[in-house]
Amino acid sequence: MNCDLAHERIVLAAYAELLDEQAHELERHLATCSDCSQEREQLLALKTLATAYPVRELDPNFVARSRMRLDEALDAVPPKRWYERVGQRIMNSFSNLQAAPAAALLLLIVGAGAGAVGGFEYAQARAAHVAGRPQPSAKSDPQSPTSAEVAGVASVSSVVRQPNSEIVEVTYNQVVPRRVQGPLDDPDIRRLLMLASENPDSPGVRDDSVGLLADECRARHACNGEGIRDALMVALRYDRSETVREKALQGLEPFVAENMDVRNAVLEALLNDPDPRIRTSAISILEPVEGDTSVRQVLSTVANSDHNPHIRTVSREVLSRAPEIQ
Amino acid sequence: MDGPDRAQERLQARAPETELIREAQAGSRAAFDALVRQYEQQVLRLALHLTGSEHDAEDIYQEAFLKAFRYIGNFRFECSFYTWIYRIVTNLCLDQLRRRKTRREDQAIMVDHSGDEIDMLATISDTRSFSNPGKELDRKVLGERIQAALSKLTPRERMVFELKHYQGLRLRTIGEMLNTTEETAKNTLFRATKKLRTQLAGLR
Repeated sequence: MNCDLAHERIVLAAYAELLDEQAHELERHLATCSDCSQEREQLLALKTLATAYPVRELDPNFVARSRMRLDEALDAVPPKRWYERVGQRIMNSFSNLQAAPAAALLLLIVGAGAGAVGGFEYAQARAAHVAGRPQPSAKSDPQSPTSAEVAGVASVSSVVRQPNSEIVEVTYNQVVPRRVQGPLDDPDIRRLLMLASENPDSPGVRDDSVGLLADECRARHACNGEGIRDALMVALRYDRSETVREKALQGLEPFVAENMDVRNAVLEALLNDPDPRIRTSAISILEPVEGDTSVRQVLSTVANSDHNPHIRTVSREVLSRAPEIQ
Repeated sequence: MDGPDRAQERLQARAPETELIREAQAGSRAAFDALVRQYEQQVLRLALHLTGSEHDAEDIYQEAFLKAFRYIGNFRFECSFYTWIYRIVTNLCLDQLRRRKTRREDQAIMVDHSGDEIDMLATISDTRSFSNPGKELDRKVLGERIQAALSKLTPRERMVFELKHYQGLRLRTIGEMLNTTEETAKNTLFRATKKLRTQLAGLR
């Protein structure tokens, strides 16, 4: 290790941001380099000096005053109108679609289909009008939508009343249920599964989709790309169902050692998940990861403060097996 | 430093927080107020320590939560709410620090809401000097020197040093909040400590 690198690592070590292995290497260098030892002393002195400008406790009057001012400002914000809320939902749905190109394509095709049907209907109605034939009533027209079709309407894009007549032309987009089949490693099937893992209305669908994605990851079936890991991390962090979270955790297991984001998600589950079974599983998954100080830090927090005695014991056991480095 | 403890409290509060966010997104003011209560102390503490002015801290606090209120519908659970709100606050603080740099207003002392100076060090107990006015004065002067040295950092260096040293956040999280990489945050911290050491040389 050269001295420049050592200087950088001294800063990181002072703020507990160094991996154990790098800390060892730095210690070995410091034992033989007096310049770098001095550098460390100076940095530690700076850290001590900086405490002379502390983060002071807040004056309760200051907090109360700020809160009151904020309340007034929030009261003055006009409530969102219905169309703003709808616009927001559409924007959110659009973002979802951006994240799921297959579903976006599917909806585009459905929309185009509905548009074509609408155009065909319109052309027929116009032709009938021009020919002077009696206008068919909406109920008797085989092209007009049935009640079941109307129930599946996603949105209405235009309403036009034909001049001097009782005929109204409504253009609408329809959501049509579709069924696709394919192998689990098919990218489109995977994208649909990822979309299903976020279905807020059906825990069963989320459970099935997360279970399948997790199995794929555990079997190491090309699970690195396509956002599958991200979908599992979102499920682990935010899904309301314990079963779904547990399956997501199992699916993430193969990546804990190699991927820091996955490790963070599992650490959060260990600290935060309300289900003791999931916290216990998280401990066993984290056990092999010794090189990350945050793992030991969280384990030691859990060993001291988790309200479940079994989890405290298991964490202590794991910690006692991990080598004491720092 | 109580940063890690606070981080842990935040994590433990995550599950009900998710519900609060969803309710706030659906338009519940009460849920949003609960979120404000959860983070207001941290936001005010950060803004006050960074700007050194109660008035500025209050403005940043208000603007940050008003922005959060307007745009909470855009929050998509891709990061923690804590990171999201801190991102808003750090951006506002950075703007404030940049404006101050431009105006060359190097405030070496804290001022309260009415514009009076605050002796922030008087609030800290120091067993070594509690009965020694000379040492109290030294400590006050030292605090002012440090504040002056901090104000000579670039806004971004100041922010990274603040979030790491005083708020105890991980560099990874800091990078996420400042829309940059962990590596850049590391380099910025390194530069900041180097500059501070040069500024404060001779004080040790």
